[in-house]
Amino acid sequence: MEYQEIIKSAIISLRRNIMRTGLTMLGIIIGIGSVIMIASIGQSAIAFVTNELSSFGTNYFQIIPGGDLFSAAGGASQDPLTLEDAEAIEDADISNIESVAPIGYASRFISANEEQVSVFVYGITQAGQNMLKPELVYGELLTDANSTDRVMILGIDSSEELFGEGINPVGESVRIGDARFKVIGVTKSDSALMGRFFNSAAIIPLEVLSDDIRGDEELAEIDISVEDTNYLNQTMQDVEFFMRERRNIDDDEDSNFTLTSFQESLDTVNTITGLLTTLIAGISSISLIVGGVGVMNIMLVSVTERTKEIGLLKSIGAKESDILTQFLIEAVVMTVIGGIIGIILGILGAYGVSAVVGIPFVLSLPWIIIAVVASTLIGIVFGLYPARRAAALSPIDALRYE
Amino acid sequence: MTSKTPLIELQDVTKKYPLGDGEFYQSLYGISLKIYEGEFVAVMGPSGSGKSTTMHILGALDTPTTGKFLFKGKDISSYSDDELAEIRNQEIGFVFQSFNLLPRTTVFKNVERPMMYGKVPSEEREKRVMEALRLVGIEDKAQNLSNHISGGQIQRVAIARAIIMNPSIILADEPTGNLDSKTAHEIMGYLQDLNNKGRTIVVITHEEDIANFAKRKVRIVDGKIVSDTST
Repeated sequence: MEYQEIIKSAIISLRRNIMRTGLTMLGIIIGIGSVIMIASIGQSAIAFVTNELSSFGTNYFQIIPGGDLFSAAGGASQDPLTLEDAEAIEDADISNIESVAPIGYASRFISANEEQVSVFVYGITQAGQNMLKPELVYGELLTDANSTDRVMILGIDSSEELFGEGINPVGESVRIGDARFKVIGVTKSDSALMGRFFNSAAIIPLEVLSDDIRGDEELAEIDISVEDTNYLNQTMQDVEFFMRERRNIDDDEDSNFTLTSFQESLDTVNTITGLLTTLIAGISSISLIVGGVGVMNIMLVSVTERTKEIGLLKSIGAKESDILTQFLIEAVVMTVIGGIIGIILGILGAYGVSAVVGIPFVLSLPWIIIAVVASTLIGIVFGLYPARRAAALSPIDALRYE
Repeated sequence: MTSKTPLIELQDVTKKYPLGDGEFYQSLYGISLKIYEGEFVAVMGPSGSGKSTTMHILGALDTPTTGKFLFKGKDISSYSDDELAEIRNQEIGFVFQSFNLLPRTTVFKNVERPMMYGKVPSEEREKRVMEALRLVGIEDKAQNLSNHISGGQIQRVAIARAIIMNPSIILADEPTGNLDSKTAHEIMGYLQDLNNKGRTIVVITHEEDIANFAKRKVRIVDGKIVSDTST
């Protein structure tokens, strides 16, 4: 019998009990759907992060205070980075370093025109500005000439909050506490990551931040760019060694600062996403096995219900292989349809999450192929036993079955 | 009798069914029967007489415990399941009392099914299905679902399916058991027409008026043939 006909006949059989078929498919739908959704979200996240990080450039790394990323993020390190650290690195004879950019920050209120906004005020140097490459909407960037002046580049959002939309505030005056600053430019970033930081921030010369705002020389981070990206890791090791020496850290002690590169961040995202996808795939495989057992159960019920039908088919010339193929294909059609529904729901779910979170949607083609293969295999594995039972029925016993 | 080699021959056939614990139920006690091409035979007997077992063996649905079953002169008693399936597909057409058609499947698909197992090319199948349906007068029901036609129509579809592979013999097991007498006679009329065109037909029945359509009556009681008469 032709496969096309068997598939048609399988669909007819499955439609006889549409509710039962649907419920049986549910395990497969949930299993496949969750794998596809998580895999697609993971791929989307990787694509997003790769895109964002590549806009920063991959030729530099950061030093942040604290022994690990979590304590550093908390900002409460007992061993803060200082301007002196940055100068020491710059003065040290470490090869491959292109430039060293110390960055400080403070969270402050800026006021102008009787408006007041809370912003992150970043203190940067010329080197930092070269690395961050802020895009100007109005005015100009910091220069060596104004590196000790009270001048400020506003993020576009901060500027609009203070002065209104579409207004060029260059030349206007703003205040941080009692300190008065002159706005020299407005910057804007379309990048989601950069934009979140800089559009609602303000940039001032580092020296001014240390002297007039913070009153100390603590830094948020030191960014170091390298001449040759191929030796980035070597340079990171050299800097770490230098910093440990400088801070008299014993060999058996952990560092009280952390070095991180964008490549490392990208690797971390890749690792986390890969782990998450594997984990979900593992959990989903349990759902798939449960779904497969459900399929086997229903197929056994179906064989029993259709015993007379099997007898009739055998009486008109169906061989064991015909009956086996028919029932096996019914099981496979059920799991593959379940798989396809799962794939569609998974894609829709991932699309929805991407839209809500605001990251680009990426379809995970390898996982879709894996899902189709997996659902076919489940149909074969769990449909085989019921199909063999159907095929082995004697025509007489089947015809007499009541 | 129209030829010398019987189409079907049972030689001293017995059939025992295991009941468990080494016990057996014996249904047939040495049945010998020859059916020739072109015959119309009614196998008669009361319930439990062994007539259905005889039909199952004649239809290659079951094999004898002892004795021989010759089909066109060949002993097929020891044929494999697949070989028997092929005989049923190519040589025998069945009409059962009930559960004749695949549920929720069109009349067309039901009649077409044996040709699919017989690997008849699809372009030829449609023509043959429509011809067979025309012969039993229900070509207009081809696309009806099997559960949307009457009992008499179901039996006519079963007859169409039985002849679709152009078999050597048509076996009808109580084909009118579920029908009113008018429809029953109509169905027997179709079988009679087929016989008049040269087809060999064996009908299993316990009803005398149905058996009267046949030219030969074989009576089985307690697993033995007690009479074999031709009209």
